[in-house]
Amino acid sequence: MKPNFTQKVTNWGNFPVVEKEMRSEDNFKKIKEFVLNHNEVIARGNGRCYGDASLGESIFSTKKLNKFINFDRLNGIMECESGVLLSEVLEIAVPQGYFLYVTPGTKFVSIGGAIASDVHGKNHHAEGCFSEYVIEFKLMTENGEIITCSREENADKFWATIGGMGLTGIILTAKFKLKNIESAYIRQESIKAENLDEIFKLFDESESWTYTVAWIDCLQKGKNIGRSILMRGEHAFQHELPQNFSKTPLRLKKKLSPTVPFYFPGFVLNALTVKIFNWLYYKKQSKKEVKNFIDYETFFYPLDAINDWNKIYGKSGFIQYQMVIPKETGKEGMRRILETIANSGNGSFLAVLKLFGKNNTAAYNSFPVEGYTLALDFKVNSKLKSLVDQLDAIVQEFGGRIYLTKDSMSRSSLTNYLKNIQNPKFVSLQHKRIINNNS
Amino acid sequence: MIVLGSTSEVAQAFVEKALQEGEKFEKIYLFTSNKETTERFARHIDVKFLQQAEVIELDLTKEIDYNRFENINSNVLFCAVGYLGEGTDEGLYDNRNTERIIAINYSKLVPVMNYFAHKFESRRSGTIIGLSSVAGDRGRQSNFIYGSAKAAFTAYLSGLRNYLFDKKVHVLTIKPGFMATKMTEGLPLNPKLTATPKQAAACIYKAFKKERNVAYVLPVWSIIMMIIRNIPEFIFKKLKL
Repeated sequence: MKPNFTQKVTNWGNFPVVEKEMRSEDNFKKIKEFVLNHNEVIARGNGRCYGDASLGESIFSTKKLNKFINFDRLNGIMECESGVLLSEVLEIAVPQGYFLYVTPGTKFVSIGGAIASDVHGKNHHAEGCFSEYVIEFKLMTENGEIITCSREENADKFWATIGGMGLTGIILTAKFKLKNIESAYIRQESIKAENLDEIFKLFDESESWTYTVAWIDCLQKGKNIGRSILMRGEHAFQHELPQNFSKTPLRLKKKLSPTVPFYFPGFVLNALTVKIFNWLYYKKQSKKEVKNFIDYETFFYPLDAINDWNKIYGKSGFIQYQMVIPKETGKEGMRRILETIANSGNGSFLAVLKLFGKNNTAAYNSFPVEGYTLALDFKVNSKLKSLVDQLDAIVQEFGGRIYLTKDSMSRSSLTNYLKNIQNPKFVSLQHKRIINNNS
Repeated sequence: MIVLGSTSEVAQAFVEKALQEGEKFEKIYLFTSNKETTERFARHIDVKFLQQAEVIELDLTKEIDYNRFENINSNVLFCAVGYLGEGTDEGLYDNRNTERIIAINYSKLVPVMNYFAHKFESRRSGTIIGLSSVAGDRGRQSNFIYGSAKAAFTAYLSGLRNYLFDKKVHVLTIKPGFMATKMTEGLPLNPKLTATPKQAAACIYKAFKKERNVAYVLPVWSIIMMIIRNIPEFIFKKLKL
């Protein structure tokens, strides 16, 4: 048997699927050889981005760069290799009273991926993006050289790499700050909103909360448009916890996670089932307002509880459509987006609305700008492209942009904000698609 | 715990699994021919589990100074040393390749195993875990030099188990089947028959706790190998396996 590194590779949305060379290596010398011996290289972490961002001619998987390097327990500074997952950081950090400053909706992304996407969380308005807490990282450049990048050292490369989608090189290791927590639980309030006006008002009222997010039933029409549930939360202090949690406040009980055993057949997910799901989800909470304590996994990573949940969208896969519309016109923009989706009948199983705070202008490749962001799931089918076109037009009209980490078919004009990156070595299929569509 | 072949992903996954399950070791001795990579692993388990580890260089193709190992004692020995080498196309008539395969997988490895087995025997306790291979169950045209060395290693472990039985030392033979590791990266392996290092480690840990004698990592391999072992030779020799 001769090694043949070509294999089928796809990211979390199972769309697109490509057959390309993919290799993983934990030895820096061999990584250098790989970089020098291939014309077009792109790094890939755990493949949890949705579209074609981490796909390329020759893919370098950082899965084997999975070691911890140092944990300064006094100051909460973690150093690890770039393939380490957020879940692995939390496993060590939480029992010691530390948490990630910024986490996306899944803990199964790699540290390298979190930097390259400059991920955001439910606390963007209060605490910004992942990069705010990155102290430094080591980057392998196109000639195989390893350089340290921080705000002081190689600052140009540091900022180009943040949100730079892997186009500046391969992130090898990273050092970042963690935040203190007293417990592994979140004090949560969930409030139902009848429509868009109400949910926007709730967001404004919740500005002092660290974490806020809203789930939207995006199939509602007319006066019900924007029917949603707002969830806001704070890390709970030990003294406020109910008794059953306060004995071991930093340790969670082990839970079993069910696994989706196979790709669901195409007909399972349709307008009707999404409608039923949304109705049940909204009605599950009978009171207008519920206050409770929940563990951090349920609060931050509800979908991680089901392994391989992406398979419910069937073999043709799905896309995530996440855009941001600047604050001034955000409400109007969201209304138009939601109306378009409701009229298309192409419902989204999961629609999440958030308010972004001010962006860090130094991180110029980063996605967030102050405004409203909505993330939607759509099953890939023949009608999808035209829906995306319609949504893109609205985003463009309102001066918004698309999140590259989830993009696989949006207009290039909405995604061409990658600056300072002209590197013929590190190229992704996404970057090629964007460049080609522009010309 | 003493680990031979510490850069092996299965060995590292096993160390992590044991520590996760709450096994306590005064120190973990990581024997390796690749100091740099192993030192990264030593730091990793220190960060993750506050577990002390020492990296000890060991190159099986060179002369070994056993005095260096005098103070090394433990209750568990995990041997994941393995070298696949070149298969038949280029490697068969290349004597250096052949000698290297036999040396690393068997002839140079067994004296090191014996050195530690002797320590276990005098202490009258402990477990020795050896990673052999399904390739040792029957010689096949694709990799029979490697397979023959592993067959010898399997026989060695079986004899050692027998010899140490009344000395209260347990010997566990692991036959992994396909695994998704550095050794097999890029080979077209059937995913249903291929275990990840993590899966393998969990299975080996279970076999270790249950004091099994021989364990295949994925149960399906015991069936596959039973069939392969029982194909009559006059048919087997015509097969392209």
